[in-house]
Amino acid sequence: MAAINILNPKAEFARAAQALSINISAARGISEVMKSNLGPKGTMKMLVSGAGDIKVTKDGNVLLHEMQIQHPTASLIAKASTAHDDIVGDGTTSIVLLIGEIMKQADGLIGEGVHPRVITDGLEIAREEAMKVLDLMATPADCTDREVLINLARTSLRTKVHRKLADLLADICVDAVQCIYENGKPLDLHMIEMMEMQHRNELQSTLVKGLVMDHGGRHPDMPKSLTNCYILTCNVSLEFEKTEVNSGFFYSTAEAREKLLASEREFIEQRVRKIIALKKEVCPAGSDKNFVVINQKGIDPLSLDLLSKEGILGLRRAKRRNMERLSLACGGTAMNSVDDLTPECLGYAGSVYEHVIGEDKFTFVEECRNPKSVTMLLKGPTKHSMAQMKDAVRDGLRSLFNVCQDGVLVPGAGAYELALSKSLENLQVQSRSVLGVKLFARAILIIPKVLVTNAGHDAHDVILKSMQCNGQGDTVVGLDLDTGDTLLPSAAGIFDNYSVKKQIIDASIVVASNLLLCDEIMRAGLSSLKG
Amino acid sequence: MALHVPKAPGFASMLKDGSRHFSGMEESVYRNIKACKEFAESLKSAYGPCGMNKMVINHLEKLFVTNDAATIMQELDVEHPAAKIMVMASQMQEQEVGDGTNFVIIFCAALLEAAGDLLQMGLTPSEIVGGYEMALDKALEILPTLVFDEIKDYRNEAEVLKVVRSAVMSKQLGNEDNLAKLITKACVSILPENTAFNVDNVRVCKILGSGLGNSEVVHGLVFKRNVESTIIKKNKAKIAVFSCPIDIAQTETKGTVLIKSAKELKNFSAGEETLLENQIKDIVDAGVNVVVSGGKIGDMAMHFLNKYDIMAVRLLSKFDLRRVCKATNSSVYPKLEKPSVEDLGYADDVYVDEVGDTAIVVFRVGTNESRISTIVLRGATDNYLDDLERAVNDGVNAFKAVTRDQKLLPGAGAVELELARQISSYGDTLPGLEQYSVKKYASALESFIKVFSDNSGMKASEVLAKLYALHHEGKTTYGFNIEDGSDGTVDVKDIGIVDIYLGKQWAIQYATNAASTILQVDQIIMAKRAGGPKARPVKGNDADDD
Repeated sequence: MAAINILNPKAEFARAAQALSINISAARGISEVMKSNLGPKGTMKMLVSGAGDIKVTKDGNVLLHEMQIQHPTASLIAKASTAHDDIVGDGTTSIVLLIGEIMKQADGLIGEGVHPRVITDGLEIAREEAMKVLDLMATPADCTDREVLINLARTSLRTKVHRKLADLLADICVDAVQCIYENGKPLDLHMIEMMEMQHRNELQSTLVKGLVMDHGGRHPDMPKSLTNCYILTCNVSLEFEKTEVNSGFFYSTAEAREKLLASEREFIEQRVRKIIALKKEVCPAGSDKNFVVINQKGIDPLSLDLLSKEGILGLRRAKRRNMERLSLACGGTAMNSVDDLTPECLGYAGSVYEHVIGEDKFTFVEECRNPKSVTMLLKGPTKHSMAQMKDAVRDGLRSLFNVCQDGVLVPGAGAYELALSKSLENLQVQSRSVLGVKLFARAILIIPKVLVTNAGHDAHDVILKSMQCNGQGDTVVGLDLDTGDTLLPSAAGIFDNYSVKKQIIDASIVVASNLLLCDEIMRAGLSSLKG
Repeated sequence: MALHVPKAPGFASMLKDGSRHFSGMEESVYRNIKACKEFAESLKSAYGPCGMNKMVINHLEKLFVTNDAATIMQELDVEHPAAKIMVMASQMQEQEVGDGTNFVIIFCAALLEAAGDLLQMGLTPSEIVGGYEMALDKALEILPTLVFDEIKDYRNEAEVLKVVRSAVMSKQLGNEDNLAKLITKACVSILPENTAFNVDNVRVCKILGSGLGNSEVVHGLVFKRNVESTIIKKNKAKIAVFSCPIDIAQTETKGTVLIKSAKELKNFSAGEETLLENQIKDIVDAGVNVVVSGGKIGDMAMHFLNKYDIMAVRLLSKFDLRRVCKATNSSVYPKLEKPSVEDLGYADDVYVDEVGDTAIVVFRVGTNESRISTIVLRGATDNYLDDLERAVNDGVNAFKAVTRDQKLLPGAGAVELELARQISSYGDTLPGLEQYSVKKYASALESFIKVFSDNSGMKASEVLAKLYALHHEGKTTYGFNIEDGSDGTVDVKDIGIVDIYLGKQWAIQYATNAASTILQVDQIIMAKRAGGPKARPVKGNDADDD
């Protein structure tokens, strides 16, 4: 009978050894589930939501978000790793695996009577060593070097999607980043828009150096394709709006009503006429220049009609964030009133055209002069394949973002984990904490082990082989998953982010230590009421 | 929901109540394969010209009698996740090409079934997927070499006819010649000069009664409704199209008539009348004799329209309104004003007709000027008409595919068999484990001949052997013959059954991708079904719902 039961007879609890075993089994359980997803050779998971929607993914972050975990310990681990994903954008599965493995190794030691505190102390020492090794292995990277960026993006993407697709997306990601990157300024990934288009297959995804909007001109007579266009972005209502106050017209003859009707329109028509006047100014009759109006507010049918008579393409109800991107992509400024229109506030795009797929219309604004905002056009045959791509691209972009921030890279393909394990084994520690250090040295090997197992090779064989190689000189050796042999990550172009690795070690040690040091789980609530 | 202190170990206890979790080969991979196989089994019998019809009752209790796979799938509302992936691949095929949906399902299921055998042999899913992808690459490489014919001019009705005929044949055996002629006529006549062909420009109007033989093609539009005016026929019609109601115009702001004496009231009414009369007179002066409106036509306006001998048609949908514009080459006016001459449309005849007991409004445009044509289908029952419409859609889509790519492949299973033959010999040249899956890929392609023969009651293995023998001799255009009394083989060149290159190419890709996706899944996690009222009281017995 625990003390808490006296205070609250309805409380649920688990104490000491029981609490620990719950934590350990949860951590191991969740890592068992995620195991098969790690690395380029990992398999997929299919998630079916309550509404019957399908998601096929091997992105740890997506999985943890969608799985609806109820177990307190498991959900703690899940939250820690997804939070980590929010910061650096990758490495979710690794954290879960590492926590699971630390707990598994600790289970054995605790069974032999080692106090959890000794283990956690050892983990702290191991962490410091890990950071030293990481700094040693980091190689400076030039984030304007295309080759480096492509290698990095490829490493990240190949763990998420099919190889061919990964290579294509890596190119797209790097192109996009290079387009918007300005030296000395932090990268703003929001300036890369992702547009999904259910069409053809994944390999037809492209980068549009401009903007793609998911709506089209609303008037059947408006031009569908224009070249050499001036672009006016504005936030001006071109439709009749009722007054705020209660108002009414009084008339006694039909003529008077007609007059009122005309003057009612006059207000809006004046605005439209100002736009048309500007159009006439910049595109004199006979020139090959064209004019496009993209409005954040509405344009009513009558105004559309006026615009279409002038051959102007008018888009209404553009998204707010697109307005911002438009002025970055095409130049010009977004106007809030039509009173001070000047040719200077116009943007320019070489080509504007409408593309119709089934019921959906897309408007492409392309061939901009110096685009500072670009759009990734993700195509895929099904919703789930597009979602998968979107998640992957997000990770790819984040990895590029990270390298621009860090300025350094770490060799991938399990090289860091192998080297760290080795250096921890050799570390001289003069206290009982050595147990914890050794524990971590074994636990960190889970990453390369799982990578190898998923590729269908024998984990121990490969690990042993690479350990031997690592001993000779100070070359950095990683794993070749295709052959089950060793390789040089730098030669194969496999790189990881410095900050991701750092976070993985940090987060997993903190969470694992917390779980190990926990000796009671209780829930003192009104459990009799509901659920 | 609040967390609980867990009791039972294991992963299942970590998830929310009611969610299901399947993992490992036995629970997920084999289970998926089985479900897809069973789903395809039920669609198989609907494939090809000898395919049987299915009676499907959807959740709204609407009855469908069809052998069109796309419709069956849509109405069945498949729930099993793996089968759903297959259905999605097939729907994509429907969007991309508009035909070949059943091909995707059958092929995908055949691939999965073959994968099941391979798994039992001890291959891993990723090795199988690798092999399938190699085979797919090879298939896409071989496919262009199998092209045996090309449509030189898709404006030539006779040439296009054979493509449309093959497409329609699998849906409406026996009626294919009739229907194909109608479809080709409708399509070729409206082919735009330089822009792409739009499927939407071939309309279908279904009228109950009579028989298919009485169906016809109208250059222009046919609507199943009556006109508003008393005038019901106009020759050489000048058409003005308004999207607004034809009535006294209203202000957006609330209007109040301010009247102080009886005289003013009288003047106001008179003023309104003259105003409206003037407006309508303006329209008449522009030479208009038919008015089409998207809004309602007021009583007074109607009076004046009748007075000036103008036919008035009211259309409820703005898309119909746009179609009228397109067909007659006019533009829409958003408000009632005098139309300029260049904005007016022209049609040879606009008239009301009664077919059976249905009143229709016909806009008949000169033979070669219309951008829209309508196929008026006649048939005895609604279900039959619906099925005819689906056949027409397939035919029109086949035509569209031809306008994009003119290459033709031999039909009747010939191309599948030749692919199977070549891929299988390609498999022999491979050194690694992939060869098994590449060979299985080839045998999956054979399944089409098997389905053909099963559906037409012949012996699959005999026909297959004969066809292989012929193909080995280099007669790669020999395909399956559905006619009675033959030995099951026929040179498709002679009977003119062709497949569209584009359709096959996408179908093979989508099917292989779907199969790979399903194979790569090693775990399924299903959340509890969301609440809400059950949409369907009668549960269709989905074979895959275990």
